[in-house]
Amino acid sequence: MNKTAKMIIVLTVITALSGAVLSSWDSVTKPKIEYHQLQALKAAISDVLPSYDNYAVQDISGNKVYIGQIDGNSQPAGIAFKVAGSGFQGKISIMVGVDPNFASITGIKVLEQIETPGLGTKIVVDPSNKTNPFWFPEQFNGVVLSPQIDVVKNSIPQNSNEVQAISGATITSKAVVRIINDNIQQIKESYQSAN
Amino acid sequence: MNLLLLFISAAIVNNFVLTYFLGICPFVGVSKKVSSAVSMGLAVMFVMTITAAVTWLIYHLLLVPYHIEILEYVSFILVIASLVQLVEMFIKKVSKPLYDTLGIFLPLITTNCAILGLALFSVLREYSFVESLVFGIGAGAGFTLALVIMAGIREELELSNIPKPFRGAGITMIVAGSLALAFMGFAGLISM
Amino acid sequence: MAKKPIPLSKEFLKGLWDDNPVLRMLLGLCPTLAVTNSAINGLAMGLATTFVLISSSIIISLLRKVIPHQVRIAGYIVIIATFVTVADKFLAAYLPEISIALGPYVPLIVVNCLILGRQEAFSSKNGVGRSIIDGLGMGLGFIFVLVILGSIREILGSATLFNMQILGDWFNPWMIMILPPGAFLTLGLLIGLGNWVNERKVKI
Repeated sequence: MNKTAKMIIVLTVITALSGAVLSSWDSVTKPKIEYHQLQALKAAISDVLPSYDNYAVQDISGNKVYIGQIDGNSQPAGIAFKVAGSGFQGKISIMVGVDPNFASITGIKVLEQIETPGLGTKIVVDPSNKTNPFWFPEQFNGVVLSPQIDVVKNSIPQNSNEVQAISGATITSKAVVRIINDNIQQIKESYQSAN
Repeated sequence: MNLLLLFISAAIVNNFVLTYFLGICPFVGVSKKVSSAVSMGLAVMFVMTITAAVTWLIYHLLLVPYHIEILEYVSFILVIASLVQLVEMFIKKVSKPLYDTLGIFLPLITTNCAILGLALFSVLREYSFVESLVFGIGAGAGFTLALVIMAGIREELELSNIPKPFRGAGITMIVAGSLALAFMGFAGLISM
Repeated sequence: MAKKPIPLSKEFLKGLWDDNPVLRMLLGLCPTLAVTNSAINGLAMGLATTFVLISSSIIISLLRKVIPHQVRIAGYIVIIATFVTVADKFLAAYLPEISIALGPYVPLIVVNCLILGRQEAFSSKNGVGRSIIDGLGMGLGFIFVLVILGSIREILGSATLFNMQILGDWFNPWMIMILPPGAFLTLGLLIGLGNWVNERKVKI
């Protein structure tokens, strides 16, 4: 057989077989992968909102918001949405929960980050704080959003719109607050005009 | 996203070699002389930039519309292998001495994790076409930078008395560790 | 070519020390450094790589007389990339936490010079049985280094091993071990140690 023809045929057959194997494997694994992603999303939403019975997904100007609904109640329990921006080392992505009027935060959960281990990573969990390792995200519960969230260093927050920075990780702490502040206004406006 | 910041991030702050551990094999093999390091770095940078463009096009114009994203790794590596083959033929024609200097490391660019890594990161971070391109150039520049610095250091080390077990790869890794440590100082450079 | 065939046991053992892919042949360094911040990650990556290595070796050994020489690299690469996709999607579907921990380094197994290297050097020239043994030996050697590197970095960097606390609170973890510099340093020291042990072995 012509050498070139053999080369082309063999490569084509190998690639075709590869394609066949992979598309069948894809149909096996894809549903499971999507299931895991959905579970993670559900967990994140329930972490940042007060209790609800189910949630509805609404697409507003390219952003997805998750509206926690209570059966028999037209007023939602809260609204959750993802925001992202640059932290100290890389991208930080956060799930934020707010009350239906966007007046205060009901909870936050850091989804992705690659901050400095042991310092910036305290925005997720702080093992050095034996009383409450989740003190950083939890201090956002109930924080008032007007005019915006402020960060204080080395002192207990006095006002209802303040949170305390992690000592040794000021930039990361400020990044979290900045990312929320920067995005919340736009999402609030889009949501309120859509509803 | 600001393109200049993206470039600086890829080249320095999140240097592909020293932060993401991509492109280590040639790092150890080619970084003995500054001149070969520069040639290798530029060759990689060239391949990276074109790879960034071509893989983006393939992913967004072919794989996604036809829902065959499962073929991402197979198609990307085929693109890279072909590109490297073309670059090899090009260099052989244009500059035989350069071709001989780079030797076996030229076809080995195919297995340079930095190139495939670049293509994969671009998809993961959902960069636009232009962002991918800038990311590719920045990553290539960063790789060249790390390689040239390492070569400079190794040229100096040639004259010093390194304990026998550490000669070659051992000391290279340790130097890389110091370089990585130094580069960590760049963190926070581009956050506002 | 009447060479005395190398006994299978030797074929297997060479990958563990003499021709250890990481410490002696310096192959597969990218994932070695990236995912060895903990022992379990090192183990998972090692197993994934070994799976790809052995599966590819089997197929390529079976097809060694069929694939024309000029396109062999392209052929090997497609086969390797296929198995890597299988492994990657398997992890994402059935072991999601591990998939997230290993991240983009699983697809990078495609360009792990260890795998392509073994196909070129061995599987394309040997029968399926021997290729499997070679793959197993190399894979185990790889896993061995990854787990050791991962354990050292995890113990010194997080005071844990396989996620179990083993050093008490008296020990202040060396954060640097989990970060890139720690990876490079530890690997450099291990390579040096490996060379040193080997020198003495030869002398004996």
